[in-house]
Amino acid sequence: MAVLIWPGTGFADTDAEPVKTGKTFAEQFAMEFRVLTYGILQEPSYSTQNPGNNFLRMPRYLGDMELRPDLRFNRDSLELMVKPRMRLEYSAWTGAGMREQGSNWDDDWYINEWLARVKVRENLFVSYGRENLQWGPSFLFSPSNPFFPDNGRRNPYLEVPGSDFARLVWIPGSSWTFSLIANTEEGRSKPIGPDPFEKIYAAKIDYTGRENYASLILSHKERTGNTMGFMGGWTLTDAVLFYAEGAIIEGSRSLYPERERSFFGSSMQQIYKDSNTLKPVILIGGSYTFESKGTLTLEYAYNGQGYNDAQADRYYALRRSAANVLASGNMMTGLSQMTLGQTANTGLKFLRRNYLLFQYLQNNIKNVIDLTLRWTQNLDDASCQFTTLVTYYLGNHMELFSVGTISGGGKNTEFGSTINYQLMTGIKYTF
Amino acid sequence: MNCKQVRTYIVILECVIALSLGFVLPATYAMTPDEILRKSDEARGNADGIEWEIAMDSIESGREQQRTLKVSARSFNSLAEFLAPANVKGQKMLMVDRNMWFAKPGLSKAVPISPRQKLLGGAANGDIASTNYAGDYKISHVSDGMANKESCYLFDLTAIDKKATYDSIKYWISKERLVGVKAEFYTVSGKMFKTAIFEYNNSISVEGEARPFISRMLITSAIIKEDVTTMNFRKVSFRKIPDSMFNLNLLVK
Repeated sequence: MAVLIWPGTGFADTDAEPVKTGKTFAEQFAMEFRVLTYGILQEPSYSTQNPGNNFLRMPRYLGDMELRPDLRFNRDSLELMVKPRMRLEYSAWTGAGMREQGSNWDDDWYINEWLARVKVRENLFVSYGRENLQWGPSFLFSPSNPFFPDNGRRNPYLEVPGSDFARLVWIPGSSWTFSLIANTEEGRSKPIGPDPFEKIYAAKIDYTGRENYASLILSHKERTGNTMGFMGGWTLTDAVLFYAEGAIIEGSRSLYPERERSFFGSSMQQIYKDSNTLKPVILIGGSYTFESKGTLTLEYAYNGQGYNDAQADRYYALRRSAANVLASGNMMTGLSQMTLGQTANTGLKFLRRNYLLFQYLQNNIKNVIDLTLRWTQNLDDASCQFTTLVTYYLGNHMELFSVGTISGGGKNTEFGSTINYQLMTGIKYTF
Repeated sequence: MNCKQVRTYIVILECVIALSLGFVLPATYAMTPDEILRKSDEARGNADGIEWEIAMDSIESGREQQRTLKVSARSFNSLAEFLAPANVKGQKMLMVDRNMWFAKPGLSKAVPISPRQKLLGGAANGDIASTNYAGDYKISHVSDGMANKESCYLFDLTAIDKKATYDSIKYWISKERLVGVKAEFYTVSGKMFKTAIFEYNNSISVEGEARPFISRMLITSAIIKEDVTTMNFRKVSFRKIPDSMFNLNLLVK
């Protein structure tokens, strides 16, 4: 009978497997290998942002195949991880905005994430690598995270591109964690907005209590300014969670519509570029899990960086003017393209100020279906987006999935600007 | 009677008294209900620093599903990593006291989940870790009962607060073995929604003393009797588990 001794305690395990002094290579190495094949059918919105699909030129059909191996090696104090990716993509255009060739094949080989982490001491870790460094409890977006505008919740089948980080994590006790984080290179993650990547340095303090947790994140962008992020969650009962997340942001490099004596009467400008103005972004949310397994989530977000009504009117007027010029094809087409490029990528995650999210999630329906229904409402311009995520498990290796999005609202609204609908369906096979 | 004989009689008398006490007094002599409940918790994984593998088999609405998890637990914290089948391999569930997160490969960040969100079939997330009845529930009544033809203490347990996995539990603890052998779980309205049978074919030794340790938990739905979830606990081992194991910042997805 095997005997296990844990020195200093006198504990011994008589029936369990014997303790091993070292792990074999097979035990230190782990691999998950997934293959995804999916198709996307989408209808671009012929809005003033994308008149006749002649500006964004979004394809009508997309077909993708992705190979996603995840490799891990863990030995004593060293942890290595790498996620190489191969992607083959077919795009096809029809009707308005059609490209000359009508279709296109593309392939991409890259490392989306990799990590080397050393355990210096039992409670001190140092790492460098390309990570998708996400945190926070919210679904809509994660305002406390200064590194990634996309938290990956919109479509879990599309990977968020990794960015390069150096990290030091110190765990002085079970309740507290201190992290120093440096975002040194953009990696595969492209910053939103008009400006190139800038380094970000952050200090993060985490507290975890018995039924609650909280974090404070102080960050400094190399050129823009400072941000104080925060988040917290509370397990109110076994069924109810409450959480909040936010940031106080100093200055901004995002673009705002400003009146000026120019061809369009206004232009997109970085009005808070050198400003010390503090803008709050706050999200509060909660979820309730029914006895019948389903979980209902409600979130409200106040985006202090977003446009007020006057700014929104100016923004859409500018977009209309630029779209009209683009359609006329006159000599100012270059200016209109530049303007539409700016209005499409303002640097703001959300354009307006007040948002609601409703979500119903139920996993393991009949042991084979995961279902998510999500409604996002812009309370300022009344546009909305409805998303369904369905996963159907076919055995232990294969799953069928579908992500559908329908936008509601006029052409001069946030969610009505880019697509009318998008349907993604595919198969994921895990070896 | 000489001194030698007197000493012999005294020794014999001492032995008789000691043996009598051993037979007459049960092992639970002088144990309070709280101590009995704590003792029974020890046989279900409520020890510092433990790892085990759980093979879960769930039948729900006629459909069968399996999961294999590796669980590392210490005190109220646990990290469960799914090992099989392939389509869930790499998924992780982290529990730090009442705070719970779920992470899976491809999902950008760990999602906070409530304790009520089910793991698989009839098993709640709290079932895979060292659910601590002594810490989470108050004893409202103790009586005698029988379970699986075994003489038991029947504990009526009520959740100390709404953070507990279950609102109330009827819990049968073997008088002889001091392990929980059966449980009935009730909603706040007093409606029974599932039962569990515990088996203890694993064995651990604590400071030289052999103790039974949980090997199987069989959960049956009270509403649909055919819905059954079996959790087999195997590869039980103790090891010192550091705080970093339960740290969300270090959870590699």
